[in-house]
Amino acid sequence: MNHLKKSSSLWQDSLKRLKKNNASVISFYFIVFICLIAIFAPLLSPFAFDKQHIDFILSSPNQNGFLFGTDSLGRDLLSRIIYGSRMSMAVGIITALISMLVGTVYGGVSGWIGGRVDAFMMRVVDILISIPSLVLLILVKVVFDSVSLFEDPELKALTGMLLALSVVGWVTLARIVRGQVLQVKSLTYIEASKALGIPSYLILLKHILPNILGPIIVLLTFQIPSNILTESFLSFIGLGLQPPYSSWGVLAADGWRSMRHYPHLIIFPSIALGVTMLAFNLFGDGLRDALDPKS
Amino acid sequence: MLKKILSKSTHVFSFFLLVLGFWAICLNLSNYYVPKLLSYGIFLSLILAFLSYSASSGTVFYCFKRIIEAFITIFVIATCTFMLLRLMPGGPFDEEKALPPKIKAKIEAKYGLDKPLAVQYFDYLKKAAVFDLGTSYKYIGRSVGEMILQNFSVSFTLGFYAFLLSFLIGIPTGLFAASKHNTFWDNFAMTLSISGVALPNFLVGSVLIVVFAYQLDWFPSALWDSSLHYVLPVVTLGIRPAAFIARLTRSTVLDVIKSDFIRTAKAKGLSPLAILYKHVLKNSMIPVLTYSGPLLAGILSGSFVIEILFAVPGIGKDLVQSVTNRDYPLILGLTLLYSVLLVISNLLVDFLYSFFDPRIRLGV
Amino acid sequence: MLSFKNFLILLFICLTFLLNACVKKDTSGDFGLPKSKTLRMRLSGEPPTIDWHKSSDTASSLITSNIMEGLIVFNYTGDEVSLAPALAESWESLESAKKWVFKIKKGVTWSDGEPFEPKHIVDGWERLLNPETASPYSYFLYSIKNAKEYSEGKIKDFSKVGIELQGHTLTVSLKQPQDFPSLLTHSSTFPVRKDVVEKYKDKWTEPENIVTLGPFKLTKWIHDQAMVLKKNTGYFGIQSRTENIVFYIIQEAQTAINLFEMGKIDVIRDLPPKDLPALRKLKEFYTYPNLNIYYYGFNTEVAPTDNKFFRRALVHAVDRQQIIKILGGDQKLLTGWIPHGMFAYNPNVGLAYDPVRAKAYLKKLGYSSKNPPPKVELSFNALEAHKVIAENIQAQLKENLGITVELKSEEWKVYLETLKVRPANLYRMGWVADYPDPSNFFDIMLSYGENNRTKWKNLEYDRFVEQASGLVSNKGKRLELYNKAHQILVSDEVPVFPIFTNVAQHLISSRVISFPTNVMREFRLKNTSLQ
Repeated sequence: MNHLKKSSSLWQDSLKRLKKNNASVISFYFIVFICLIAIFAPLLSPFAFDKQHIDFILSSPNQNGFLFGTDSLGRDLLSRIIYGSRMSMAVGIITALISMLVGTVYGGVSGWIGGRVDAFMMRVVDILISIPSLVLLILVKVVFDSVSLFEDPELKALTGMLLALSVVGWVTLARIVRGQVLQVKSLTYIEASKALGIPSYLILLKHILPNILGPIIVLLTFQIPSNILTESFLSFIGLGLQPPYSSWGVLAADGWRSMRHYPHLIIFPSIALGVTMLAFNLFGDGLRDALDPKS
Repeated sequence: MLKKILSKSTHVFSFFLLVLGFWAICLNLSNYYVPKLLSYGIFLSLILAFLSYSASSGTVFYCFKRIIEAFITIFVIATCTFMLLRLMPGGPFDEEKALPPKIKAKIEAKYGLDKPLAVQYFDYLKKAAVFDLGTSYKYIGRSVGEMILQNFSVSFTLGFYAFLLSFLIGIPTGLFAASKHNTFWDNFAMTLSISGVALPNFLVGSVLIVVFAYQLDWFPSALWDSSLHYVLPVVTLGIRPAAFIARLTRSTVLDVIKSDFIRTAKAKGLSPLAILYKHVLKNSMIPVLTYSGPLLAGILSGSFVIEILFAVPGIGKDLVQSVTNRDYPLILGLTLLYSVLLVISNLLVDFLYSFFDPRIRLGV
Repeated sequence: MLSFKNFLILLFICLTFLLNACVKKDTSGDFGLPKSKTLRMRLSGEPPTIDWHKSSDTASSLITSNIMEGLIVFNYTGDEVSLAPALAESWESLESAKKWVFKIKKGVTWSDGEPFEPKHIVDGWERLLNPETASPYSYFLYSIKNAKEYSEGKIKDFSKVGIELQGHTLTVSLKQPQDFPSLLTHSSTFPVRKDVVEKYKDKWTEPENIVTLGPFKLTKWIHDQAMVLKKNTGYFGIQSRTENIVFYIIQEAQTAINLFEMGKIDVIRDLPPKDLPALRKLKEFYTYPNLNIYYYGFNTEVAPTDNKFFRRALVHAVDRQQIIKILGGDQKLLTGWIPHGMFAYNPNVGLAYDPVRAKAYLKKLGYSSKNPPPKVELSFNALEAHKVIAENIQAQLKENLGITVELKSEEWKVYLETLKVRPANLYRMGWVADYPDPSNFFDIMLSYGENNRTKWKNLEYDRFVEQASGLVSNKGKRLELYNKAHQILVSDEVPVFPIFTNVAQHLISSRVISFPTNVMREFRLKNTSLQ
């Protein structure tokens, strides 16, 4: 009981520290703002994201009533960016959560059991890391794009991407979590709980998890932007989301070729992408500083 | 006594090799065609340097063990990749204009694809054991080993400079930001380096092309030819790791500065520069090193985006294209190359650990 | 601690290192060749091989058609395509096109100085058909007696194949009447120096080994970077007007366009659709028709596209003009199966845009607002141009018929695999003419055609097409048969949905004179010159 109280105050301290960091606070509100946009995209966007205005192909910004202009099919770019936030955030957050879940369980089990099991499990991770992630990404994306697991069209369009990114993402997390578990495991009070005969799962949940939660959350905030970037890379090589859905990555990959002739197609998506990346990274930095008891 | 001298001389020797490596890099910068072999020379000399270092510090057995382990890992990777590739739908000889089935069967038989998978696998292993990686399915008649060697030299050089660049920019920036902790300059440097990772590199690269190649015509953007062609791709490739290293350096330096021995050093009256190089830098290198192992392997094995944007004949592009072509021997060859690179660079990092932090002992 | 001065020192070290890289300016581009005598073109990818018996792609054929020559070449006058002699002086048909006799030219030499002999042609054909070669194009000569049997290994003796050589006269016996000479323009039928191939094996196509007889010689091939051709002074025809050609291998079109606008390359042959609206305004922009079709196929075995009225409704509901507008407007609208400028082209066949009739069809099938039509799956391979078209079709079908279209973008090889196994209701495909004859297009949809992925089988159609391809001399009757087949294919049964004929869109610098622009996309550059 005593221990739980102490740990909660640790969290409160961290929160206090985080609040002092202006950049992080602003970033946090920005992320919340983007998330709200993503959730309420249908209400916010002036047009349907796939509505084609064939008579107004490639309008410049603020022309023909399109604030950000239109693309080569005459679709409103602003609406596509707003809807894009939905897909990008979904890709970033869901994959980060999946890889975190898998990585934590795998790394946790490996670190907790230790010995030969640990050695074997880590060898598997080593091998997965040594296969070029690109090959894995393409492979999983390609295989699961042709499999429909969901009925919902938006989720259907996302399936391949989510799985591909998760398969690549969980490995590094597993490694780090294992390292953390190993460190915490050797602490005396864990040894003491073991000696008292408390079941392993309780120790894991009550003592180890709270101790390694900080680093995991920090990793999570860094995993999200890196997922969003990887998604844009996959779009670049032509393995993006299923059309007509678009994410910021898809928009950027579609638009970069028009950089010189139709700059609006690339400027607006890049701003959305770049600022969000910045926000996640700043927030992650702040969070790390706040959670690090050394500082 | 003898042992001490020996150890000293191998240190000198490895230092000499390092210098040789850097000299080769400088030479490499001035002309592209001469030092194709030299790029391998650099790598080889670096490996030799560390091997001799390891010999002097008595870790030969450890080295041996690591190499055996590496071979097993690489074997498992080859097996996994071989099987995974066959799971991918579509074969190497599916084309838009479908071939008559009999002709397709004939072509597949020529490459042994009609045999059972197990037979194909053992055939591949047998050949790979003597460094014969087979011939490409797409680029008819070209041996995979040759193709990889040719394009790897370009990717390698490009990656090596980018790696160097990211250290040369990342570490000073990180140090600078740390020394100005919590000031405008700190925030400025850090925001700048976060911006470095904020945009996908195909955007960064194409902006650089439009500005420096198209508008200003300072640097060429394609038609791979002279040393000048390295500038834009190296910068594009190096920005992201540089930004990452800067952040990593800053945070570890901030940790190190607080530690007791720095305070002692200050109290001793050492000059700030001496403290910086003798103590701070050396002690903050461990996290950077950990990061640089996979980075080195990743960066040397080429980047698809950069090679496409700048029309660079490298293996990053080959990897993606071999996958889309289902050119099995080429994919396997490139995967093996990557894992070998990863193993080597992780080995290098391990040796460097003990160099930077004598408390870390190899093989313990 | 670290002072600002120290930071500057460190930064300075970094910068000198960087600058070191920039000191030495390179002296010569284009491999030291003078710009005034060098045509610089972009190749969009490394040619898989220039062995003309094994290649099957456009990059390779661009090279081989400039370094080699066959018996016969195409001659283009306006839209007309005719045959002209090359290594064959003349030819005639016997037994109503079942037998062909070619007179072979004398006094031709290979690039290594050896004289060209008629047996090199037979050698070439033997190599093409030989099962050992495993050529993707070996079926090109299957119309020759016993050729197929030899190629499949049923006959081991090549002398039994219907090819006979006497002095400089080559006689070819066919299984059935066919316009055989037009096949001989294809690079797979070119002669070959067997001794060279046997000597160097897989390496015989490298510049230091290869022996050719065309207007150019391959002098350099830096894989993945560039290929250099030089004028062949020993060429038997009219000498080339260009001294050198450099082909730069640049995959990314945007990179190539930048180089073009900076004057570093002279010709880009294919342009990305995204850029067209802007590039069309340039004076260096050229466009001309090609013999090809862009179409969607229906899977005729899967509901709802197993019903021909449903298929007709879908075709009627799409305004092709809208798609063409999105693509820049150069493409030619196509309702039939045969592209513009080819024999049997018929603008009046097929289903035009008619949403009213489309709705009527759906009503007839019992669909209404209460019983909405089922959703349709549409697949295409992940490429920018295809994606734009697919998205537009999706929007049009939604708007005109209220049909929900589910798009499926697949990676190229996966796409081909699914087409083999189970194609979507609608799938994207295209066809580029191998030779300028309608049979090349009608053969696709034969019930046993490898490229008929619709699973549609119609014996009547098969009969018309088979009959027509044998009628080499009777054009009137042939046209009649093709019209009947056309009617079945695109008006009645509608297993396919032709959309447009694509055009070639090039950027050609003003210093290039008479760059070849022909319907077959052949780029024989010997007549091209530089200002």
